[in-house]
Amino acid sequence: MADLSQHLLGTDFQSPVLLASGTCGYGQEYADLIPLDEIGGMVTKAVSREPREGNPPHRVAETPGGMINAIGLQNVGLERFRLEKLPWLRENLRVAQVLINVVGHSAEDYGSVVSGLDGEDGFLGYEINVSCPNVKDGTLFGTDPTALSALVTRLRDLTERPLVVKLTPNVPDISLYARICEESGADGLSAINTFPGMLIDVEGRRPVIGNVSGGVSGPAILPMGVYLTWRAASAVSIPVIGIGGIRSGDDALQYILAGASLVQVGTALFVDPASAVQVQAGIADYMERHGVGRLPEIVGGLTLPEPR
Amino acid sequence: MSVPVRAWARVLDNRPAARDTHWIELDCPAIAGAARPGQFVMLGTGVQDLAAPFLPRPFSIGTRTADGRLGFLLRVFGDGTRRLAEMGPPESMLVLGPLGRPFRMSGDRPLLCLAGGVGLAPFLFAGAQARLEGLELRIVYGERSGESVFDPDLIRRITGVEPDLRTEDGTVGRRGLVLDHLDLQDAPQLLACGPDPMLRACVDLAARRGLPLQVSVEEHMGCGVGTCQGCVVRSADGEWIKSCTEGPVFDAEELSWQT
Ligand SMILES: Cc1cc2nc3c(=O)[nH]c(=O)nc-3n(C[C@H](O)[C@H](O)[C@H](O)COP(=O)(O)OP(=O)(O)OC[C@H]3O[C@@H](n4cnc5c(N)ncnc54)[C@H](O)[C@@H]3O)c2cc1C
Ligand SMILES: Cc1cc2nc3c(=O)[nH]c(=O)nc-3n(C[C@H](O)[C@H](O)[C@H](O)COP(=O)(O)O)c2cc1C
Ligand code: FES
Repeated sequence: MADLSQHLLGTDFQSPVLLASGTCGYGQEYADLIPLDEIGGMVTKAVSREPREGNPPHRVAETPGGMINAIGLQNVGLERFRLEKLPWLRENLRVAQVLINVVGHSAEDYGSVVSGLDGEDGFLGYEINVSCPNVKDGTLFGTDPTALSALVTRLRDLTERPLVVKLTPNVPDISLYARICEESGADGLSAINTFPGMLIDVEGRRPVIGNVSGGVSGPAILPMGVYLTWRAASAVSIPVIGIGGIRSGDDALQYILAGASLVQVGTALFVDPASAVQVQAGIADYMERHGVGRLPEIVGGLTLPEPR
Repeated sequence: MSVPVRAWARVLDNRPAARDTHWIELDCPAIAGAARPGQFVMLGTGVQDLAAPFLPRPFSIGTRTADGRLGFLLRVFGDGTRRLAEMGPPESMLVLGPLGRPFRMSGDRPLLCLAGGVGLAPFLFAGAQARLEGLELRIVYGERSGESVFDPDLIRRITGVEPDLRTEDGTVGRRGLVLDHLDLQDAPQLLACGPDPMLRACVDLAARRGLPLQVSVEEHMGCGVGTCQGCVVRSADGEWIKSCTEGPVFDAEELSWQT
């Protein structure tokens, strides 16, 4: 058997496959359909200091090769997450690692979520979401180098747990933002969040999505995700988690060869909850076929053409 | 609550049932046994197939048999339903179900099912179940025009009741809408499934007559199992709640009907 484990962020992941934020709820919702403790881990739906009510419907619709969503970060807020959701994760995920996706309107907001959860058990660390396209100030921190640096520095002071920053694809040069995160003390990066997009009902001459625009995800964004992961991973030495359109072992391997140490499966779970486990099996199969004993051997193992 | 199952299911039958409407049967014993009237499944074609439907689509369970067949009344609406409507043996669909909260069917009052268009589907199952449980049930079923009407003989065979038919153009059954010429003398409990304007008219009617009403609502869905928060409707206390897990069947008073 190929060894799928990865040692990083100060711990062991039994496999490089995690479930992406917003596509697996707080875990419990998928407990009957996905053997959560047999995969690498999961990232929770975003948690904000106060509960958020989210956007009006329609919130989701299919787009060619994927979907568009504007959930608007509806979530139960820090207190209810701590009291009602975290205990389930703590009790049920013994091996799979849990990252908590954190959002805020201000650096104080992010800080209070991290401080409010830091003393609890049942999770590894944080994925700081500075990249949501579906709320007014969602990408504020992700597109402003100064604000991003200040935010990561501040959160670094608040916790010793792994701090992963989830980058937005919506910047001209992602390597700049990747480096800022690393220099400000981040332990890892997630790349990428959804692309801003819009879908119009031509009969009704109206936007399909209640929020007018939304974030595009799914197989349609795979090549952009691979490219941006490659750019980010080439710019830093901290681990990168590759995200965007993964639905097979080969998709995941594109990210891994581009430099991702872990990957996340999102939209594909809606299509088939078994897809995360299948991605994992696909990676193992590839490793066996190519005689790869351990995953780190192929992380970033892309061969580039000789410069001419 | 029933535990949802994911299964590939063979298409056993696909017959044109009315204009743009197909009767589809799937071999799905893992899901059929636990299903209740008003519940739905997500039907899709899996992750390897990028053509619509890429995201699975929700469909009410129309019938289930002891040998594990599920029957669906599927109307072509857009690209996803067009593709599903073309599938037949020996192809398979990826099924997730049974999902959602079913109709609450009790013997307190006679059941009056108000079906607009393919909103008929869950009442086929409800009718069959009522027959098994000895509950009194009527079906009023409306379509725009006669060519869209699902075969009344089949409705009778499945449910044991004669549907009270309405068409807007009067080509089949009485001319009018589902709520026209309703007989409410037996003070029934109302169950409604159909387009939004019809559901709103049902809410008004139930309030005016003081009758209990359950509605089955439709909203776009991502996952169907409560993870994506895509399928929300407004609750009476002003929150966005998930129609896939808290619904699709709601008591009318649980929801806000403001526009
Ligand atoms: C609980 C439930 C039960 C249903 N039962 C049945 C049934 O028994 N028979 C039947 O024919 N139809 C039923 N529908 C409606 C059916 O799901 C839609 O017609 C179908 O999703 C439309 O897909 P499309 O690709 O053809 O349409 P398109 O308009 O091309 O789809 C575009 C997008 O809109 C979404 N969408 C559009 N209309 C609806 C809708 N009404 N409901 C949910 N999503 C929608 C699709 O998922 C897709 O993301 C039900 C819907 C729900 C929510
Ligand atoms: C319905 C939905 C909700 C999402 N919610 C969040 C969220 O709360 N926080 C976050 O960082 N990303 C969120 N995302 C983005 C995903 O985590 C992921 O980055 C993106 O969908 C790309 O991966 P995919 O193509 O595999 O889905 C959401 C995506 C979807 C489709
Ligand atoms: S469809 Fe995903 S939460 Fe209801």
